[in-house]
Amino acid sequence: MTSPVRLAQPWAPQPWGAADGSSTDTSFAEKFPSMRFINWIWHVRGSVPLAPGQSNPDAFDRLDPLFREYGTSHERTGDTLTFSKKDQPAQDKMSVFDSGVLRIEKGADGAVLRYHLISRALLFCFVLAPLFLGIAQFTIVMGKFQKPASEVAATSGKSAGAAKKPAAKAADKAEADKAAPVPLNPVDKFLGAPEPEKPKKGEEKPGRRNKKPSPTPAYVFAAIFATLYVIGRILEDWLVKRLFKKSLLGS
Amino acid sequence: MDGVRVGNRVVGTQSPVTIGWENIPKVEGGPVKQFIFTWFQPTVLFALLAFWYYAPNSIAVTSTAIGIGIGFRVLLLGLEWAYPRFDSWHLTWKELVTDLFYVGLGYTLLRFVDSYIGSDVMIKAIQHNFHLEAFKWFTGLPLLVQAFLIAFIFDFVQYWMHRGMHNWYPLWLPHSVHHYITQLNINKGAVGNPVELFLIGLGIGGFFDFVPRAFLLAGTLGLAVGSYQHINVRFNSPRWWRYVFNTTEHHSLHHSQDFESTRSNYSGTFIFIDRMFGTCIDGEAELLGMEGGRRMSIREQMTYPFTEGWKTLREKFGRPSVAVPAE
Repeated sequence: MTSPVRLAQPWAPQPWGAADGSSTDTSFAEKFPSMRFINWIWHVRGSVPLAPGQSNPDAFDRLDPLFREYGTSHERTGDTLTFSKKDQPAQDKMSVFDSGVLRIEKGADGAVLRYHLISRALLFCFVLAPLFLGIAQFTIVMGKFQKPASEVAATSGKSAGAAKKPAAKAADKAEADKAAPVPLNPVDKFLGAPEPEKPKKGEEKPGRRNKKPSPTPAYVFAAIFATLYVIGRILEDWLVKRLFKKSLLGS
Repeated sequence: MDGVRVGNRVVGTQSPVTIGWENIPKVEGGPVKQFIFTWFQPTVLFALLAFWYYAPNSIAVTSTAIGIGIGFRVLLLGLEWAYPRFDSWHLTWKELVTDLFYVGLGYTLLRFVDSYIGSDVMIKAIQHNFHLEAFKWFTGLPLLVQAFLIAFIFDFVQYWMHRGMHNWYPLWLPHSVHHYITQLNINKGAVGNPVELFLIGLGIGGFFDFVPRAFLLAGTLGLAVGSYQHINVRFNSPRWWRYVFNTTEHHSLHHSQDFESTRSNYSGTFIFIDRMFGTCIDGEAELLGMEGGRRMSIREQMTYPFTEGWKTLREKFGRPSVAVPAE
């Protein structure tokens, strides 16, 4: 199933150049020459040798099913195949890539399929680590403005201090009663469940309602995404190479 | 497509679904594998309940629950990898990153927002204004009864919120994003527009001050039952289990590409709530999603309820475009 979608533009500078020696998209390369040094983050380049004697049309015919997925459009012109994907489902074997160019070149050792693929998912994962580090910093800053309930109570208790009135003392007693643990139900006693302990003075109540936000989860997720990026950059490179190799050789 | 009649409605006219437990495939393999995949779910549930019931106070704390929760999810991810229900639901790197991004949002920003305008604030306000000390006797109930009440109240509210999302357009807009997922995996429950994730978390299970251990027991019910909603593993769940609890089968039908099937199985943990209100359908589906399986990008997942809502408002209240007659 295919759907008509726009081809992604502009193209990033091609690593191999056109057959006649000219670049396929000089404007982008001229505008952003330094991009070449960082776009490896989300650009995957590689090559797969064709079987001896395999013609260009035969090679592209074998790759054709990969570009007949939902949300994928492609164009074949001679030795080049250009594709673009939009809203590709997870079941698409190349769903991690959003656009790319595949070109067959004649080399000294025979024909070679060179590819240059672009993945927004890789870029997104790369950005997630600093994003979650930012969230951690934001949590720390906001935490300074948000004192936990126990701290607030302790501060107000200190200031009230000596001038405690009998009514306030009664309220304190009621609060202390409230904090006292509820006795276990006889059924639980019979079954041997541990008795609840009396909470220590100044101890926070369990549950996140009474806790200051912690930056730890954000740090953990930043580490997870940094690791996932490294895994993904290696894994997806390897997987797509294997996919092209399998498709071309038909094994 | 002919579809299958279930009560007053016909399901499966737009996309294939399997209806009836007798038609759902069983786990294939030797007797050991069959035994494991039949008794895994009940064993884990009862083992965890026993653990939280008898654990000393020093161990029965939230950090232990978080550790067990993470460990259990890693185990389930491993099961998904080794024994997938459908190969087409195989967890790819891109899907894992997307899922974990939403899990991360849930643990950080959403939790933060919740502490200011979400359920935490609602609970405090209600406790303050309604003198819930009158319900203090709740804490004297047996622990397992308290745990069930917490889980049931939360799920009951979630059932109606979820059903409301499928029946009222302003609520459907944020929820629809979650229905664009094309496969089920352990963390897919976290995927959705943040507005919906915020709304679905507004449970009132925590209004009453139950004994802390009861909360840990209730959390176990969510972990050892609710986790299977979005899992890509086939289990031969015992008959009583699938009668009481929500299963992947039920939830896959809810995510089917068939519209009528999506209007069933709204509960999160207890499928008997759906049975009570006549919205339960026992069955499963493999083809999931909306618009024939279009997968939304994360950018669209974030903006869709607003852009789509704005489009609808303009269509309804905007100035109609005047056609200029050709000369």
